[in-house]
Amino acid sequence: MTTQEAPPIPRPAPHKLRLKVPGNRNFSKPARYVMLAALVLFSGFPLYWMLNTALSQDSELYGQAQGWWPHWERLADFGDLIGSVPIFKWLTNSVVIAGGTTLLSLVFAVLAGYALSRFKFHGKGAAGFLLFATQMLPEALLVVPIYALFASLGLLNGMGGLILANVAFTMPVSVWIIKGAIDAIPYEIEEAAAVDGCPRVTILSLVLTPLILPSIAAAAVINFFDGWNEFLLAKTFIAERDLWPASVGLASFIGQYLTSLNSVMAAALLFTLPALIFFLLVQRRIVSGLTAGSVKG
Amino acid sequence: MSLRTSISPPSVAAPPIQDAPSRHHMWQRISPYIYIGPAVVYLIIFMIIPVVQGIQLSFTKTPLVRPDGGTGVGLDNYSRLLSSPQFYNSLGATILYTAATVIFAVAIGAGSALLLNQAFKGRTIVRAVITLPWAVPTVATALIFSWIFNRSDGVLNEVVGVLGVGQQGWLVEPKFGMAAVVLTSVWKVMPLVMLVVLASLQSIPSELYEATRMDGAGALETFKAVTWPHIAPTVRVVTLLMTIWSIRRFEIIYLLTGGGPVDTTNTLVVNVYRQAFSNQELGRAAAIGALGLVLSLLVTVVYFMMERRNAAKEA
Repeated sequence: MTTQEAPPIPRPAPHKLRLKVPGNRNFSKPARYVMLAALVLFSGFPLYWMLNTALSQDSELYGQAQGWWPHWERLADFGDLIGSVPIFKWLTNSVVIAGGTTLLSLVFAVLAGYALSRFKFHGKGAAGFLLFATQMLPEALLVVPIYALFASLGLLNGMGGLILANVAFTMPVSVWIIKGAIDAIPYEIEEAAAVDGCPRVTILSLVLTPLILPSIAAAAVINFFDGWNEFLLAKTFIAERDLWPASVGLASFIGQYLTSLNSVMAAALLFTLPALIFFLLVQRRIVSGLTAGSVKG
Repeated sequence: MSLRTSISPPSVAAPPIQDAPSRHHMWQRISPYIYIGPAVVYLIIFMIIPVVQGIQLSFTKTPLVRPDGGTGVGLDNYSRLLSSPQFYNSLGATILYTAATVIFAVAIGAGSALLLNQAFKGRTIVRAVITLPWAVPTVATALIFSWIFNRSDGVLNEVVGVLGVGQQGWLVEPKFGMAAVVLTSVWKVMPLVMLVVLASLQSIPSELYEATRMDGAGALETFKAVTWPHIAPTVRVVTLLMTIWSIRRFEIIYLLTGGGPVDTTNTLVVNVYRQAFSNQELGRAAAIGALGLVLSLLVTVVYFMMERRNAAKEA
């Protein structure tokens, strides 16, 4: 819980403070700018190249050198560009899968986070350990037995089964985030409601939940993008092209060049942009939530 | 309905708690299980049972087409694995991939954090650019890099061509495959290290820097005396996470090289997948998976032992 609260504190005016502190300078000025430029190039170039490829002419992709600058005029026929890839169908599937994963995962997480934060009970340590240890399990190890399990239950080749499997992987982190958030709410608020005769379910849903809404939102974003990005389970469970999420659909273009690459990259851009925007909005909480979730036992 | 009635009347003078103490007591005892129960049962069904089944599966010969119709073969899968060079190659690839990815990601990530902890113009934008790759979906990452690394038309060959180097098959030549996969992985995961270390750096009280400055300490001494001791625990935790995540990373490797060229990037998780869904041998796949799990657990145990030693040293 300390990891969760720690980062936001030193926010106010770090600039002024740091300018006055020569001891905090670990690099000389020119060296620093060279390193920063290298970093920006390393991190930024591949993204720029995705944009540049999406907005390139068909003729420049193969055989001759690809131009260094995007053809912005291609934005006008972006619709045609992505027309050769059924990306909207796949994105819709991704929304359904990610949305379902998020909803189910949050219901479990709010209930379990509440129990871990507010109750003392036998087996609490064991439950915490279960929630911690399951995060360590590699997807690729579980994919085989889950595949076997789903085959016998008839859950393969459907988005419902995929959501069920996704939740198992995303829920533990959410539980820790919600638990940390409830830990930070003073108990007196619930006590007042309890004295008024409120049942616990009511306290949780009408008193606590609104108070921890920011954390729930952060957990929701993490879940949504886990579901959005998930590839391995979807690729294994869903054979039908029309049911693929965008991750599996786009991956099917890697290494094959029947579909023009600028179309594929344009579709990939549509798949990437929502993730980037949401991430920039809630970055701070995602990072503290993730580390808090994975680090505590 | 019950929600509304129970919340609205402030007229309830005596709380129901006093009415039925024994019933209330019993309710108090079971209610935590009602809240924690669903999550625990869910994880048991979708995590614990599959793990147990996976381990059971590893003692059988089970074809993919009939996942529940395996025949027991005892330790056969394990003994075959432990005597096959392909398995050791896979283990070696996992260790090499993990070590390289973790070292570069932590070094570059922590270095970037130190750079970004200083004030300069455009810091917010630089930080955003360096952070973005972490949010790029893995499949999109693989798509971008497979195009950058493309042998005949990729931009990397265009760049090295200017330097007078001929076209290289970055993803198809055994000497480059691992490097290409590590580079892509570092690009993707380094921002997380940067963000976490940066958060830790920003929580160092500035008085500590003031004090060392008064003592006349240089930059390097300050780093050793103030900065490093403060961020070291964070760096250790993030290194552990990076290690565990690297051991189990699948998508980037599978999508870029599929375990090739010539099995040079055939890490354990990629190997599991290929055994299960290409060779259709679920039993052997499960055995590789189980050994991979042992590797992850070993890393975690070693980490906690090191932490304990560190704690003992400090005490």
